[in-house]
Amino acid sequence: MSGPSRRRPPARSSARTEAPAPRVEAGPTAAERPRPRPSAEPSRPFLLDFFPLESAAATRLARFFERLRAGRLSTTRCPVEGELHWPPRVACPVCHREALDWVDLPETGTVYAFSPVLAGAPLGMESDLPFIVGLVDLDGVPLRLFGRIVGVEWPALAIGARVRVEPFAVDADRVFYRFRFVSNPPGPITPSSEQA
Amino acid sequence: MTRRVALVGGGAARFGVRAATWAELVQEAGAALFRGVPNLRAADVDSLFVGAAEPERFAFQSHVAPLAAELIGVRPSKILQRTELACASGQSAIRSAYAAIAAGLCDVAVCLGVEKMNLPSMAEANTSMACVMDRPWDGPHGATAPPFFAMVAQRHMLEFGTTEEMLAAVSEKNHRFANANPIAQFYEKSFSREKLLKLPWIAPPLRLGDCSSMTDGAAAVLLVAEERARDYTDTPAWVLGTGQYSGFHNLAHAGPLTEWTGLTRAAREALRSARLEIGDVDFAELHDCFTISEIVEYEALGLCPRGEGGRFALDGQGDRGGSIVINPRGGLLGCGHPLGATGIAQALEVYEQFASRVDPRRQVPDPEVALVHNLSGSANVHSVMIYGRTAPGAS
Repeated sequence: MSGPSRRRPPARSSARTEAPAPRVEAGPTAAERPRPRPSAEPSRPFLLDFFPLESAAATRLARFFERLRAGRLSTTRCPVEGELHWPPRVACPVCHREALDWVDLPETGTVYAFSPVLAGAPLGMESDLPFIVGLVDLDGVPLRLFGRIVGVEWPALAIGARVRVEPFAVDADRVFYRFRFVSNPPGPITPSSEQA
Repeated sequence: MTRRVALVGGGAARFGVRAATWAELVQEAGAALFRGVPNLRAADVDSLFVGAAEPERFAFQSHVAPLAAELIGVRPSKILQRTELACASGQSAIRSAYAAIAAGLCDVAVCLGVEKMNLPSMAEANTSMACVMDRPWDGPHGATAPPFFAMVAQRHMLEFGTTEEMLAAVSEKNHRFANANPIAQFYEKSFSREKLLKLPWIAPPLRLGDCSSMTDGAAAVLLVAEERARDYTDTPAWVLGTGQYSGFHNLAHAGPLTEWTGLTRAAREALRSARLEIGDVDFAELHDCFTISEIVEYEALGLCPRGEGGRFALDGQGDRGGSIVINPRGGLLGCGHPLGATGIAQALEVYEQFASRVDPRRQVPDPEVALVHNLSGSANVHSVMIYGRTAPGAS
């Protein structure tokens, strides 16, 4: 699997110029897929890299990343308590049971709040500036997830905008998720329109 | 029966972008402490609590409590520990010392807070700040403090009509007080509302002047058991009560961004334990890491109705001459925010205000009761302390 490097070329607007996200297809399991060339050296030291290690050797939540690689954002749910977790867990915080179910999450949602980030990016994210982060209410489930919102310039984005979940390749070995802008709600753009 | 605990003085290093290392800042705060409490001898100190949020990341140094002890020249024989609660690490040191002294485990405790935040690479410093969030889940999206508090401001503007002018009113007030505070990062630097509203955006609707700074700084205070208080000062600040509440950590669980029920709970517990009400408080050191924070805090503390914090700021109700003085030290906005040092410097301000020792331009007239608040992270934890000029239980 190949994807764009996290080190994108500097661009005036990452939202406008970035390449389409790699469509991660459902397909062979990790064991069947040709192994990506193991990176001899990570792109930066572990303690300066925000993206988690995703393999089964590193985390008991490798299944989350496997499913994400197949295009499905998912999480755990306690079969006893019935509550959806975020982030996915290895033990229920209520009954402390460790055998949990995996469930897919809705692919669409509505922006509850967002912030453009114009300065002050952490290492590895400087070339992403300006970017947008936000809190998104997923459709039909009581979960409000935080994430990047791409595909729109910040003065044109409004609270209430519709977005969809989009898995993307972090590097040759890893995937993560973000939200892609779909449409604004009807009516004037508030409250950031006056700042455009 | 617990013992009463007094804060009997302290000292601080100059806050700012300092040409000084972490260890040098600690030494400066130690020297300032011994100057500020002239009767204190190093041998008196039986305990040291070091508030330090991220020395591993900012200074590449762990095991900092014994290092700090050596640097300020004390050899603790009762309790030596570091406290870490991100932006509330300093107050955590004080709460821990208070608990230990009240329980009779130690008698004379130094609480020292320190952070060295300005590194050659600002991006590296921002990386450290982002580790305060849920790093593997929120961090990869670019979650640092400014975008979180920008979302709070955005929602507050949407729900209640709060304006940029209201945000600027908070910043102008706190910078004006810092103007009269020699340890403040923005000492003798003035910011009009007009100037603040022209500063560049960081995370809209927050501009540079709406955000506290990356600051190097250190401060130390001395807490002692009641029977030792008069050895060190004639004007002790007594710990009357404390409260804390932790509601969530991952941003998915933040709930309504404009309603900080955690602060309401922490303050209620602190005031209950002090047997006081919010109306008894003469001044408060609130955690204004961003202008919007102070506005939401007015509301959560019940100083004004929900949604009216912006108006409260614009009308000067938190200013001298208003209903309560908020952040006469200059706040985090005016003093800068060296994470571990902030809570200690706020407590030092309470001591000096009670002793009427601060610049008259920011002296609160004859204060009897003060409230100190720190939030940490994404306002997910709130820590509150109440101090009084009169010993609890005394009349």
